[in-house]
Amino acid sequence: MPSKKFEEEEVQANLLPVMNIMFLLIPALLLAMEFASMASISVSPPRITNNPTEKPPEDPPKEKPLNLKVFVMEDGYRVSADSQQEGAEAGKTQDSSTPTIPLAKPGTPLNDYERYDYVALEAKVKQYKSLFPNETIVTISAESKIPMQAMINTMDALAGRSCKLGKALKGEAVPDDCYFWRTVMEGGA
Amino acid sequence: MTPDQQAFLAKKKEKAAARRQRPEEKGELGMTSLMDIVSIIVVYLLKSYASDPVVINPTAGQKIPLSTADAPMQDGIPIFITLRGITFDNKKVVSMTADGDIDPTTVSNHLIGPLYDALAEEVDKAKQMAENTGKPWAARAILVGDQDLKFSALVDVMYTAGRAEFADYSFCVIRKS
Repeated sequence: MPSKKFEEEEVQANLLPVMNIMFLLIPALLLAMEFASMASISVSPPRITNNPTEKPPEDPPKEKPLNLKVFVMEDGYRVSADSQQEGAEAGKTQDSSTPTIPLAKPGTPLNDYERYDYVALEAKVKQYKSLFPNETIVTISAESKIPMQAMINTMDALAGRSCKLGKALKGEAVPDDCYFWRTVMEGGA
Repeated sequence: MTPDQQAFLAKKKEKAAARRQRPEEKGELGMTSLMDIVSIIVVYLLKSYASDPVVINPTAGQKIPLSTADAPMQDGIPIFITLRGITFDNKKVVSMTADGDIDPTTVSNHLIGPLYDALAEEVDKAKQMAENTGKPWAARAILVGDQDLKFSALVDVMYTAGRAEFADYSFCVIRKS
């Protein structure tokens, strides 16, 4: 009996409908993705000055340090430089009743992050920066209930809201519109 | 119908018939241009995922603060602090109260016990790894907080991280567009 010979046929898959779907899927997935570019804000803990292992700097700075401190309260900012609150009563180092910069939106809840006057704070630190151009450090603290977003907005205002440090951290010069961008965070009240 | 019109219609029919009888042409797909597109997309996606040294995946319901800062993320150990609890190494180590405070049974003089234990263990591992690889340990904690997180909770976490030998902190923020 003669045996049948089968010849294998090469079948090529029709890729056209697959590619149609792929080309629709790729833009759909790309559109559905939400990209959030992350950034970081470096914060230092307070430096302990009486640390015996810490060597004093060989070349101490000639300028007197500014010691700029910003305390975020529920009713505004208390700004002080060299332990003297700006706007405090005569003879007092700080005024516990009145903030230096009151709220922009008084009476609003704490989770309204625009309640603070960031514009006034930025203007104030710009004045300090013009007097102390080499200072970059600010100490920041807050009352216990202050939300993190308000703290971040405050740090943005202290650094300058148009300040872009990304390139400066790679070795380029710090832009002129960056004021106090090195933050030391202290525990609050 | 005029003879001209009839002739025109007949010609049209002839053409249509000829077109029907013609064998179907097989379309071939040009793969070169397709591969170009695919390679560009692959490179783009790889670049966007690999640019940051640390991948931050926020926990459910966490609202990371927004900022105008543009400094890139640096290498460090992330600690996730939300209004529900503190998560470290994919484990929830501490819970929060309904008021957004850290569970008071876990805090003693600003030190959050369970978080300290987890951090200390991680620090030991990181130091050992740094010794083996010959690279210095960064000692940086990345605090991934929430917009509504209370300052007191943040300070407690920073204090605990400091006790666990972390010397630098950075807040993770979303860049404002």
